[in-house]
Amino acid sequence: MAGVDRFTLENVADGLVAAADEMFLSWARTSQSTIIYEVLDFATGLTDAEGNLIAQANGVTGFLATITYSVKSVLKKIGKENLKPGDIILTNDPYTGSGTHLCDVSAIMPIFYGDKIIAFAANKGHWNEIGGKSLGSWSTNATEIYQEGLQFPIIKAYEQGKLNVAIRDMIEANVRTPSMTVGDLYAQTAALRVAEKRVLELCSRYGSDAIEMAIKQMLDNGKKLALQELEKLPHGTFEAEGYIDTEANDIDDVYIKAKVTITDDSFTIDLTGSGDQVPAPINCSRYGALGAARVVYRALVCPHADTEGNEGFYSPLKVIVPDGTIFSAVRPYPVSCNWEAFSHLVDLVVKAVAECVPERVTAGHFLSIVGTIVGGIDDKTKEPFVLCEPQAGGWGAGFDKDGESGLVAIDDGETYIIPAEVAEHKYPIVVEQYSFNLQSGAGEYRGGYGLVRDYRICNSNAELTTIASRYRYKPWGLKGGNEGSNNKVQVYHSDGKMIERATFSNYPLGNGDLIRFITGGGGGYGDPLSRDPKMVLEDVENEYITIKEANEIYKVDIKLKSENIYLDIENTNNLRNNK
Amino acid sequence: MSYRIAVDIGGTFTDYVALDEETSALKIYKSPSTPKNFADGVMNCIEGAGIPLNEVSFLVHGSTIVINALTERKGARTALITTQGFRDALEIGRANRTDLYNLRFQKPTPFVPRKYRFEVTERLDKDGNVLIPLDENDVKEIATRCKKEGIEAIAVCLLHSYANAVHEEKVGKLLRELLPEAEISLSSEVIKEWREYERSNTTVFNAYVKPVARKYLDTLKEIMKQKGLQHEPYAMLSNGGSATFEMTKMTPINVIESGPVGGVIGGNELGKILDEKNIITFDIGGTTAKTSLVYNNEVRLTNDYYLERTPIYPGYPVRSAIVDIIEIGAGGGSIAWIDPVGNLKVGPQSAGADPGPACYNIGGTDPTLTDANYISGRIDLKRFLGDKYNIDIHKSRDAVAKIASHYNISVEEAARGIIRIANNNMMNALRLVSVRRGYDPHDFVLVAMGGNGGVHGPFLGKELHVKKIIIPRNPGVFGAWGMLMTDMRQDYIQTRVTPIVEDHLDAINSIYFELIENANDVYKSYGLYDVYVTKAADIRYVGQEHTVKTPIPGHTLDSKDIPLIRKSFESLHEQHYSFKLETTPIEIVNYHVIAYCKVQKSEIKPIKIQGSTKDAFRTSRQVDFDEYGLIKDVPVYVREKLGNNNSIQGPAIIEEKTSVTVVYPDQKATVDDYGNLIVEED
Repeated sequence: MAGVDRFTLENVADGLVAAADEMFLSWARTSQSTIIYEVLDFATGLTDAEGNLIAQANGVTGFLATITYSVKSVLKKIGKENLKPGDIILTNDPYTGSGTHLCDVSAIMPIFYGDKIIAFAANKGHWNEIGGKSLGSWSTNATEIYQEGLQFPIIKAYEQGKLNVAIRDMIEANVRTPSMTVGDLYAQTAALRVAEKRVLELCSRYGSDAIEMAIKQMLDNGKKLALQELEKLPHGTFEAEGYIDTEANDIDDVYIKAKVTITDDSFTIDLTGSGDQVPAPINCSRYGALGAARVVYRALVCPHADTEGNEGFYSPLKVIVPDGTIFSAVRPYPVSCNWEAFSHLVDLVVKAVAECVPERVTAGHFLSIVGTIVGGIDDKTKEPFVLCEPQAGGWGAGFDKDGESGLVAIDDGETYIIPAEVAEHKYPIVVEQYSFNLQSGAGEYRGGYGLVRDYRICNSNAELTTIASRYRYKPWGLKGGNEGSNNKVQVYHSDGKMIERATFSNYPLGNGDLIRFITGGGGGYGDPLSRDPKMVLEDVENEYITIKEANEIYKVDIKLKSENIYLDIENTNNLRNNK
Repeated sequence: MSYRIAVDIGGTFTDYVALDEETSALKIYKSPSTPKNFADGVMNCIEGAGIPLNEVSFLVHGSTIVINALTERKGARTALITTQGFRDALEIGRANRTDLYNLRFQKPTPFVPRKYRFEVTERLDKDGNVLIPLDENDVKEIATRCKKEGIEAIAVCLLHSYANAVHEEKVGKLLRELLPEAEISLSSEVIKEWREYERSNTTVFNAYVKPVARKYLDTLKEIMKQKGLQHEPYAMLSNGGSATFEMTKMTPINVIESGPVGGVIGGNELGKILDEKNIITFDIGGTTAKTSLVYNNEVRLTNDYYLERTPIYPGYPVRSAIVDIIEIGAGGGSIAWIDPVGNLKVGPQSAGADPGPACYNIGGTDPTLTDANYISGRIDLKRFLGDKYNIDIHKSRDAVAKIASHYNISVEEAARGIIRIANNNMMNALRLVSVRRGYDPHDFVLVAMGGNGGVHGPFLGKELHVKKIIIPRNPGVFGAWGMLMTDMRQDYIQTRVTPIVEDHLDAINSIYFELIENANDVYKSYGLYDVYVTKAADIRYVGQEHTVKTPIPGHTLDSKDIPLIRKSFESLHEQHYSFKLETTPIEIVNYHVIAYCKVQKSEIKPIKIQGSTKDAFRTSRQVDFDEYGLIKDVPVYVREKLGNNNSIQGPAIIEEKTSVTVVYPDQKATVDDYGNLIVEED
């Protein structure tokens, strides 16, 4: 065996990253739950013995902080000295580290090499059902966490490899889909053992000293990368404010603000002054806020910090927030739609710095995932059906590009919208339309388009639960670009009545009713009058805008002559010069 | 005399292999590919090899024409016709954001811009019943628009057309009447699988490449005929089989990955000859390494193919029967570099053939894997390429010195580092196809091919703990050899969700019957009759999304087959997903009929090769065996001079015309009855 040189350490580091990836693939492969293996609503990772993140694999952005803080919460409550090989700890406590909502359960396992903890394997994923007042466990009208499901307050589900049967029985008794939920507990914990096996293989091949050296080198590299990039960012203090306007439980719009301070070696987000926690499930806990902060920090500092995306990389990040705000809810404030606060935090920080780092950002996007449940009892099969999905929408324009159209929001990621053909097989609906909502922010580069998705109910009963923000406040434009457009949900009853809202809770529907999800278009970038007239012509040809809009918004003269569309450059110049 | 020949266009070279049907002797030839007009390179190869085409009984061609037209965006001006309400579905895609933290992420741009996407009034339900009849006037208006816009190809993809093609066929008929000069592709003629975005994109791709493919295949066939070819030539398909040029013209999308497939088919055929059922193929060339896993002598198809996909870019889905191959940017030309935090990386950038590795001495100054292998004594490039290039080890050393000086280590140590990192990258790909999918490498042989297969294969096989490593004869053109072994193959896939219960047996049987009849009709229409079929189904537990491809008995199914199908599904399900749901009912999602048409071939025979290790010994030199350290006086042999059953104890280097095999200290290499080199633990 050659000694431990730096190339060996690189291979060890690569092996640790691969262990986190393999845990991810393994869980996706062995899960019975489509929200895991289709929606990839989960994350897996490794930390060092102190809970510092070494490597993490993600299907969505929302769990970026949860691996490390879940492990730290275990160390704090149970203590290293009370952990034994084969122990697996469960937590879904949003307020102490698990971070998001009760449906997302973290499992943590110490990896012992000899009698020493060398690392922790941890993962966290969305369980289909964790009990509580509503099917699927998240609701848009909870007022306390006790309505949102069963809580695992950092408890050992396995002790020295042995399942605690009492815990399993309690899960079975408290959830609506016991066999699937318990099946997923098994898949989730089995994935931890895959990572343990890989880490131990690395230990026996290279020795535990090499593992520890590799971890140290990884964390050093992470920090080095972050400092290199922080140096390139503008330094100073940047502020932004806004509102979260879901109208859930008829609450008022919640004021939010962020102050961002960037120096050579720190990136601080101060949320002080943001509105108080509310009796509606749109709050996030402090750990949710830390997750959002990591997402936006990574997006701004180095989005492709894959191998280096570890605790070292995140070490310059600090978040200041007093307890009890919309971003730091405490028990028993509800959090089941915590993505609203989470996403707005990300957006607020981007908005604060956007004018100074236009090359790293895009203008505001539709932001709210418009989380949706359409459920009922299928007339034909007499079985319950539950369509649970996010919606996609428009993203903002950048300094050199139009915004993206029909893309999932920042809180999502490798999230695939279900095809109409598959949806119609699974649920008693017809998807009558899936097209662009052609309202977006004009600009030198225009915002991307949101979507219009229509579901016709072909069943005697159904109910709609959904929540959207940016219902009245629009995605922001950048450098003179216009604002984008709003998210809204409309129900067209078969008797001709139309209801439009941001939030619906168990809203009853009948045969022939139509639900229309309209997601917002992104903000524009730059002055619309600077848009290249040829691009405006293309937009007209593609029927994104009309000839009239080209003239009014962009001051570009496009003519229609015997069915041919052409650009009158001379007139355009005149129009633009006489503005 | 009668020959089977394969001509395989690669990125740099076009490979040619001719198999003498009587003696199993091989003739190989290589000439540079000619991207301006690929047919020239093909003909140069055929003529250079010197076997007249009128002595050829079977000619198979692997081409890159389709994938090039797609990646270079040089296909036809294409329009798309969709169901009302779904004009934008092609652009929306599945709306996933692969590059999670990048606010500036860009989705793939659709191959058909919005102005050429048209809706027709019509709608079917999920079972294919007509909800809204087709408005033919819409089609006529669209035809007028297309004519005016100079549209060359039209894709038609209507909702639920996999369940009932009636509207698509009507649209197709009208368009073919109104626009006889345009190529029409109906989704129901390309792929009858659900998921409208994936099917639309596949149909659009097919339409987009159809005019280009037609022209290419027609031209090439005409030239070959003029030069004496008396049989219909065949094209290699991505499903591991072949089809006549005429059939290929209809659905050219089926050749999208025809190149890399040859090596996998070759590996499997070699396995059959050697009585090995489980094979991992590993093809290491100049730019990439490709690996695939063959289980039970069955080549696996992927249901997850995307053009241009990377870990941070979603790419474009193609639903076609495509052999499951993982490709990574690691080959001889892969460039070593230092990332911003100081880690050594190898690839995916490659120096290719031009400027090539630094030692080629034609302008390349970046350190490559080949330079590192040269410095470590594993390969002697002067001997290989000395006649083509003015090979210079100092150029390799100068290039690798850039890495060495950054870490303040010797050039030799840096070279070792480059090899170690590259091996690790390749190992990850091998683990991905095997261990990570629930297979135990102990049950597999590794067939290592390509110019660099023998250089890295023995080490990787050892690390992966495979049974043995096989370096086939002529590893540099093994892919083309594999193409010679194929039968014609067409895959027919049909989505229809059906519970596997007695009540539905008649329906199940009749769907298979229709698919088989259709397959026979297709072959018949090209004058081909020697057809045999196998049946499979994508089956899942009710309530789950993922399916498992399960073999289905060939006979008409009766109630006794139901538990057998379930058993076979459950064992495969458990292997792939590690669990069974014994009380959950199962259902078919996709019916799959694989229709082969036999191509006449003679059997591969053992070949007598005279030789001895003594004659084969050429020289000895110092070689760096990484963890085993620097070993002095490692014997170097010439593979062509080794005879059957000659065995060489590692450490050793075995050189041949187009490749090198690096045998590790605890391995031995033996020449088998067919001329393959078998590397095993000693």
